[in-house]
Amino acid sequence: MDLLNQIIRQPVDPDYALVKARGDGPTRRGIAFAVVAIVIGAMFAVAAVQTNRSAPVLAGERTELISRIKAAETEQDRLRERATALADEIATLRAGALGDDDTASALQSQINALDPIVGNVAVKGPGLLVVVDDAPTGADQRQDRVLDMDLQVLVNGLWQAGSEAIAINGHRLSTLTAIRGAGDAITVDYRSLTRPYRVEAIGDPRTLHARYVESSGGIAWNELAQNRRMRYEISSMEEMTLEADPGMVLRYAKRAKS
Amino acid sequence: MIPLIGLIVGILLGLFLEPTIPLALQPYLPIAIVAAMDALFGAFRAYLDGNFTDRVFVVSFISNVLIAAAIVYVGDQIGVGSQLSTGVVVVLGIRIFTNAAAIRRALFHA
Repeated sequence: MDLLNQIIRQPVDPDYALVKARGDGPTRRGIAFAVVAIVIGAMFAVAAVQTNRSAPVLAGERTELISRIKAAETEQDRLRERATALADEIATLRAGALGDDDTASALQSQINALDPIVGNVAVKGPGLLVVVDDAPTGADQRQDRVLDMDLQVLVNGLWQAGSEAIAINGHRLSTLTAIRGAGDAITVDYRSLTRPYRVEAIGDPRTLHARYVESSGGIAWNELAQNRRMRYEISSMEEMTLEADPGMVLRYAKRAKS
Repeated sequence: MIPLIGLIVGILLGLFLEPTIPLALQPYLPIAIVAAMDALFGAFRAYLDGNFTDRVFVVSFISNVLIAAAIVYVGDQIGVGSQLSTGVVVVLGIRIFTNAAAIRRALFHA
């Protein structure tokens, strides 16, 4: 406190009083004085100009980055579409190559049975639509927003309740799908989602809803909806279609020799 | 009159010539400005007190700016540059406010 007191008690350079007391009288050095005044004014102006000049540059960089992200996402969409088309082609070619004998039809039926389960083809059927969103007020508070963990809990509850296929905002979930937070957004299959989050699950229409509500995910979300006032709507659907997951690729695992 | 005219001329010069500060000196400009403001307010108060001397003003301005920049420079070298700039701004800021209050009292008797 002593330091602060001293600063407050002696805010003016003590030299002013010293020189005055020495009786040098007012010296007239107008040139140096004027130069210093000009320098001070120039410093103000230069600093202000520089700050204002760098602001648009920063904003420009930001827009540039955003547009690059947009372009990359469009490119990704295009590649995914291509991947789906190629997968269709593979299916056609495979059907042609397998031929008509017994092993072939056994293999084909195995493929047909497994494809919908792993998420390799689009499926349709009755099920649940769960729409969740951030709490309306205080969305700046992190706890009032839907987190990646909340979506994971929700999806796990739906699997637990006997869902056969799940998609979030149209992104089909497979065993290789990650739901995680990246910055402010939640990503599914490395694609960022926009609010609100629509989770679609296909399953037994008679039991899916009831079993989901009793699952740990349902209980957790009931609490989120009541305590955090997040949006949480469940509706039963007669029929819905879930697209295939285009990201179904095995990079390292290979079929063991049979 | 000299200081006012000088200030205005300086501002106009800075606005129209737009000199570019070398990148290495940029961190010191804000601190130098705060030191300059401190010198200005101190000078104005001394002027009101009747013991203003322009020689003291010139010397105190230059030394204030140099010392403030030197503190920040040393801080940058040892990794506490931002903390030391904060310290400089706090100390000079207190002085500026105290001087401004004294100036207000002297000018408006309030």
